Amino acid sequence: MRALAAFADWPHLLPALFLLPLAGAALLPALLRTRPAVAWASALAVALATTMLAVLALVRLLGDGDYGYAMAGWAPPLGIELRYDRLSAITLLTGALVSLALLFARREMTGAGRRQAVLYCSLVLILLGGMNGFVITADLFNLFVFMELLSLPAYALVAMSPARGAALAALKYLLPGAVSSLLVLFGIGVLHALTGSLNMADVAVRLTPGGPSPATVLALVLISVGLLVKAALFPLHFWLPDAHSAAPGPVSALLSGLVVKMGVVGVVRMFDVFGPALGGAMQAFENLLLILGVLAILTGALAALVQHELKRMLAWSTVANIGYIFVGLGLAGSAAVSGGIAHVFYHGLTKAGLFLAAAALVERTGLHDIDDLRGLGHRMPLAATALSAGLIAVAGVPPTAGFVGKWQIALGALEAGRPELLVVVLGGALLALAYGMRVINALFFRAPVSDQVVTASEAPASMLVPSVLLVALALAGGLSGARVIEFILPFAESLGGR
Amino acid sequence: MGAELLDARPALALLVSATGAGLIMLIGYRARLRAWLAVGAAVLKFVIVWSMLPGVLAGQVYGLTLFEVLPGLALELRVDALGLFFALVSSTLWIPATIYALAYMRGRQGQRRFFSFFALCVATTVGIAFAENLLTLFVFYELLTVCTYPLVIHEGGLAARRAGRRYLIYTLSGGALILTGMVVVQHLAGTLSLSGTGILDSIDNHAALLAIFVLLVAGFGVKAAIMPLHSWLPAAMVAPVPVSALLHAVAVVKAGVFGLMRVVYNVFGVEHMRVLGFAGYLGLLAGFTILAASVIALRQHNLKRLLAWSTISQLSYIVLAISLLTPAATLAGIIHLANQAFAKITMFFAAGAIQRATGKTRIDELDGIGRQLPAVMASFTVAGLSFIGVPLLAGFITKWYLSLGALQAGSGGYMVVLALSGLLNAAYWLPILYRAWFKPPAGVAAAGNTSPLAGSAALSPMMLVPLLICAAYVLLLGVGAEAPAMPFVLAEAAVRLVFGLPGPAP
Repeated sequence: MRALAAFADWPHLLPALFLLPLAGAALLPALLRTRPAVAWASALAVALATTMLAVLALVRLLGDGDYGYAMAGWAPPLGIELRYDRLSAITLLTGALVSLALLFARREMTGAGRRQAVLYCSLVLILLGGMNGFVITADLFNLFVFMELLSLPAYALVAMSPARGAALAALKYLLPGAVSSLLVLFGIGVLHALTGSLNMADVAVRLTPGGPSPATVLALVLISVGLLVKAALFPLHFWLPDAHSAAPGPVSALLSGLVVKMGVVGVVRMFDVFGPALGGAMQAFENLLLILGVLAILTGALAALVQHELKRMLAWSTVANIGYIFVGLGLAGSAAVSGGIAHVFYHGLTKAGLFLAAAALVERTGLHDIDDLRGLGHRMPLAATALSAGLIAVAGVPPTAGFVGKWQIALGALEAGRPELLVVVLGGALLALAYGMRVINALFFRAPVSDQVVTASEAPASMLVPSVLLVALALAGGLSGARVIEFILPFAESLGGR
Repeated sequence: MGAELLDARPALALLVSATGAGLIMLIGYRARLRAWLAVGAAVLKFVIVWSMLPGVLAGQVYGLTLFEVLPGLALELRVDALGLFFALVSSTLWIPATIYALAYMRGRQGQRRFFSFFALCVATTVGIAFAENLLTLFVFYELLTVCTYPLVIHEGGLAARRAGRRYLIYTLSGGALILTGMVVVQHLAGTLSLSGTGILDSIDNHAALLAIFVLLVAGFGVKAAIMPLHSWLPAAMVAPVPVSALLHAVAVVKAGVFGLMRVVYNVFGVEHMRVLGFAGYLGLLAGFTILAASVIALRQHNLKRLLAWSTISQLSYIVLAISLLTPAATLAGIIHLANQAFAKITMFFAAGAIQRATGKTRIDELDGIGRQLPAVMASFTVAGLSFIGVPLLAGFITKWYLSLGALQAGSGGYMVVLALSGLLNAAYWLPILYRAWFKPPAGVAAAGNTSPLAGSAALSPMMLVPLLICAAYVLLLGVGAEAPAMPFVLAEAAVRLVFGLPGPAP
């Protein structure tokens, strides 16, 4: 631990977190275009190194508390500042772990040629760099840049799929994404006009004297609508089921597990920027998030219950879980917020594992419908077990991963004096269990109906290892939920200048 | 009270059956190996659980923290008298049930899965028994649901799947209610611990307390099959006989009842409960269930379904005992955990033996079956008489203390309910006994080759011996309840803990 702490004192740790993957992403296609195997190994090495950096940054945080970094030596309000806090830590770690798993699974880019394999690795690394930058930047314009940096590879990854309809799905994903980016940019512009600054903390200070002026509210609306499209909060989720189910397996895992969570992180950052200025008006915003979150839970869970396609069902389940996160944020008590943020972490791991396992089942058989996959549990026991365990975890059966966040959110609802929300929180979990059981039933307890199932064999290790590991991590994470919650609580308590 | 001791045995007891289950799933491809694994795990667990008995009787408490799932809320095990009583009953019955199941399931499909989940279920039951807090109890309670599901639908087919779905809908909804109640308790009391006698004493909010009571009782009431939450149980009788026997006489339904006990005795505490007065309603519901389920049982034609309805009625004896909140009634409730389990498992074993030997499942086919399968029917008779409440059998002890408890509580009216229930029990058990012993076997003349002993000869001793042992235990529980190795002393210790009474010198 002490040796680690020595490394963690390296001053340029924070910029390295996004520069390393971005440099890797640029060099891979340039140098190793014709040697996909080497490119893959190098991408894996870069992702591994980034994970190590994330761990080092965490070690330093545990020692010194939150810390910042001035890019190129320019002091904060003028220069670009990076800030590493507990929210950054937890999302960085999720991102690094999931990306590692996805790079490992790259062989399953079915139909992708050798050159595309290199491209895939490169895009994932860009996405990783974008995410890392996004969660540690303390500068509004920089936030926008990183948001674009992580969105563009996401569109490209959906479009890369050889499946029919992939291009259309990518377009459906791109259009709302592009519009939302513009909204965010416009909002940031309004803020800059109001305050003359782009540093988040500085903007917050300068906005405060003006109080809840119409311009400030406009900026909040623009930025949050833009971010909520990225986060796919009901009713801005319309693009998600198509995009997430049409993408190739590992890409869906990336999108559902991580990319939507970046919208959540963005909204959380806005609490700090607008909280002091808007004061009471912020409560209306939180209430709105709460109501939308409730609606998202109900719509997502009910829609997931009636889906025929496995991956589409998982996509709807993401809509519901995003709802949980926003119910937690909207309740605004420290228990609820910590639950919401813990859910970002746990749902990220679980959903990525679920999509990988689902991709293994779907791509080994070529069947998409849950009913067609009947009996596959006996042919592909490991992948099917990973999927089943993930479904139970995502429903939040204690003591699995999904339970920790939901429990804290339920407690937060009581603390806020809103016991009626318990019905939604627990009802949503029950519905999640219902759609989970439907899949488990089909996989293990029904006789096969299709030839592809009878002749299927277990998925290759490149696919099994990451999905099993992610699900196992999610399960183990649930058992040590106390530590995760205790880690997040200081952040939750200080959010929004409370 | 004795000291709290850190001890690995509670976790070991869990691990033994969980490991057994894992091994059966992974390597239990050969029948002989599977049998050894199943029986070995059962015996080992039996030894571990019984080894804690002397310590617990001396007032010792064994505890172990496993994981901290949430701040201040861990998965934690703790062995007290009440928990040990439940664990003893289930781990004792697991051995005969496993041996019986080995014989009963011979030659059927999916045995690896069957025995694996069979072992897991008992592991979770012990987890429920040894849970230190509501969260731990709930985790194992839900696991039990998940593990029994494959057993309920084991036979496959439409009826089994329908029953399985109903089972899941009922139990998982019950689970959601419990979880809701738990969140409220955690919010108000700041703890979910079950190691004291009441954690809600300081709460003054009557509406919230009522909400907690309703949520938790309704949640656990599903598995305890309190009417109107009972309808999953008769449907679940599509499961193979050993499953119905172990799970619907011991593990699942008793988990519900045990949960109720924990709620009343450890979450609220008897004193607080008495002040609040909620338990009276529960008592009325239980009284209604006792009678209504018996009346429905009168009209059953299928032996297993009759057993299911009788289970519903008998479980509410325990629920009634819980609601009376007096020491004698509590004692009756705890003892009935064992009495009902042994008697009902005897009957299920007998029903399975009859089905296996003769293929008969309907009551009106049982004419003269006593001559054909004398040992089986003798055991069945012992259990039936015990349910009617004939003295010197286990059921009598329950009724005696329950009546005593009702009088102590000033609710003498329940004695009428008990008397009526005894009559109803007689009304549905005696005709079966009459048919079996005194009517000539139907169709003997027609099917001349059926010699009186053919059935018994076909019956494997692995089915017969567990049956006889359980029947003998029903006798023993009635005659020698006070003997040193019997659970009665332990039940008394549990009652002392619940009521905070001073114990006799250990």
